[in-house]
Amino acid sequence: MNRRELLLAASALPLVGLTGAASRAFAQGAPEVVIGVLYAMSGPSAQVGIDARHAFETAAEIINGSFDFDMPTAKAPGLAGLGGAKVRLVYADHQADPQKGRAEAERLITQDKVAALIGCYQSAVSSTVSAVAERYGVPFLCADSSSPSLQRKKLKYFFRPAAQDEMFSAAMFDFFDTQKKKGKKIDSVGLFYEDTIFGVDSSNVQRKLANDRGYKIAADIKYKSNSPSLSAEVQQLKSADPDVLMPSTYTTDAILLVKTMAELGYKPKNLVAQASGFSEQVTYDAVGDKLVGAISRASFSLDLAARRPFIGKVNEMYKARSSRDLNDNSSRELMGLIILADAIDRAKATDGAKIRDALAATDFPGTRTIMPWSRVHFNEEGQNPDASPVLLQYVGGKFVTIFPDDVAIAAPIWPMNG
Amino acid sequence: MTAQALIQVLASGLLMGLIYALIAVGLSLIFGLMDVVNFAHGEFLMIAMYATFGLVLWTTLDPIVVAPLVVGLMFCVGAFVYVAVVRYAMRTKANAGMVQIFSTFGLAILIQGAAQYFFTPDYRSIKTSWLGGHTLDLAGIFLPWPQIYGGLISIAAFAALSLISRTDFGKALEATREDQGAVALVGIDRNKVFAIGWGLGAALVGLAGTVLAIFYYIHPQVGATFGTIAYVTVALGGFGSVFGALVAGIIVGLVEAITALILPPTMKAVGIFALYLAVVFFRPSGLFGKL
Repeated sequence: MNRRELLLAASALPLVGLTGAASRAFAQGAPEVVIGVLYAMSGPSAQVGIDARHAFETAAEIINGSFDFDMPTAKAPGLAGLGGAKVRLVYADHQADPQKGRAEAERLITQDKVAALIGCYQSAVSSTVSAVAERYGVPFLCADSSSPSLQRKKLKYFFRPAAQDEMFSAAMFDFFDTQKKKGKKIDSVGLFYEDTIFGVDSSNVQRKLANDRGYKIAADIKYKSNSPSLSAEVQQLKSADPDVLMPSTYTTDAILLVKTMAELGYKPKNLVAQASGFSEQVTYDAVGDKLVGAISRASFSLDLAARRPFIGKVNEMYKARSSRDLNDNSSRELMGLIILADAIDRAKATDGAKIRDALAATDFPGTRTIMPWSRVHFNEEGQNPDASPVLLQYVGGKFVTIFPDDVAIAAPIWPMNG
Repeated sequence: MTAQALIQVLASGLLMGLIYALIAVGLSLIFGLMDVVNFAHGEFLMIAMYATFGLVLWTTLDPIVVAPLVVGLMFCVGAFVYVAVVRYAMRTKANAGMVQIFSTFGLAILIQGAAQYFFTPDYRSIKTSWLGGHTLDLAGIFLPWPQIYGGLISIAAFAALSLISRTDFGKALEATREDQGAVALVGIDRNKVFAIGWGLGAALVGLAGTVLAIFYYIHPQVGATFGTIAYVTVALGGFGSVFGALVAGIIVGLVEAITALILPPTMKAVGIFALYLAVVFFRPSGLFGKL
């Protein structure tokens, strides 16, 4: 075989794969519901997408199998409302690019004929995907993007069961107020946020809350994400030295920020993060020794497993796939798919409008989820107003719940650096 | 902003600038030798960072100790890429520039994909090393040791490059650059010189990779973050000019730091490119470009 033949043979391989996949899809006679999953599976944020895939596969296993968990769709195999139909997931890679997200969402809807979409982590991508879903009348379950602006567009097909950054940030400032009442010194905050919708929206909310509740904003720094260096930015934080540093960053920048702070001899008095990069295990694997006492908002806490034992079992199923514990992101993704499947089950149809109505009618207690939420239902903007957030503190190599008091298992260490 | 904070930002910028120069010089060298822009340059950096990470994990030696091994490995990678890809891309008669761009660009995508497949997209970092996390405190100015080491290595590499240019091999490189046809007549094997040139270029960016691996996170797309900076550094310094890469690297590091200080930090890339455009206006071939 010469070089030309080798190249020809190599280029023919994908075609063989494609025809194989197509005939498989037609060969299956069993009823199935196809759901489109949109994440960054390549590019700098691919790690989140790969973890998300494990979370969705765990959720699909729970939906399609029969498990003794007190969660919707867990007990019966498949979706009982559709004659035991199985859920099949089709993945698309949006590479954290809003335009790729738009194109992939269209492809999933028009070619793969998905019944619903779920995604997308990056708020900027969820924004374009939700617009496409609205146009085609296909429900979009926003599992883990937290920008408040996503729900402001009054979309009919947009649903977000988890909290958004207004709720998360309000919890942070509630926590500051409580600490202040206990006589701790919190006068100023420092905002440090990346330059896409997530960081900008998060900072807008935090800036407003700080002003409303009388906290001085000592630093307000928007930085370029995936920067090769953050020295100048950290120097500004160090000069301002706020009582609480509040970063809204994805994983790469979170690691670089913490490393640079240590290099420039800046120890923040306290760090309260808008999760994201600060809820990823890889961040703590890399720089955990410098993050002792750091606080992050979260939608999830494994501490809850003590009260609801099935959470521990779900975590084990996820861990078997990903060799990680469920975290803030993967828990929301897993639960999101189950909430979506529950709605399809009740809709007894794969028609977009019927699933939409079933989603809008969702109402069950938070105890039937793996989350600390008090209730699962959606307001007219498609937002679950009762997705109560928690604050976790990184102590002794793991996260402990410190706020709100009714779910806390430990008192906060404040200030974090002694 | 106090004077101390200003000095801190400038010092950090200078050290990063020296490292940028080291990343960029291999690119400039290859271009100067054969007019090919290597779009997989950032991926060479990524391979070197993973190699350092892997060797440190496997041998439990310090990144500084394994650096010569990584540099040697990268020399082989560079020479191999020339022999296996670029040599063929250069044979085309029509649109040679485009073919070379797309072949190295395709190579970059291939390397990224392979890295994601084999290494997963997880973010890696070297946890403990002699220099990692240590900082020199000069009266309140903090200089991280990994960056100081990087700056020194960069200066040493540029000194070595200026020595190489005086050797017979350096003269062969220079001669091949000036007239590929004529050198064949005096018995210099063009392909061999090019392969060594690619090896040298990759070895230099590999050296930068061993430095970055100490203090930066490693993942399959890390090359893109530094690749863009390498291209603008080479363009600013003048394609093919080794000394230009050094000066431009330092300028880029300083401009980036100063822009982040006086403008919103999101604008720091804007400062670099504004400067580049200003240079194009006065000296289209870059500060030290020949042509």
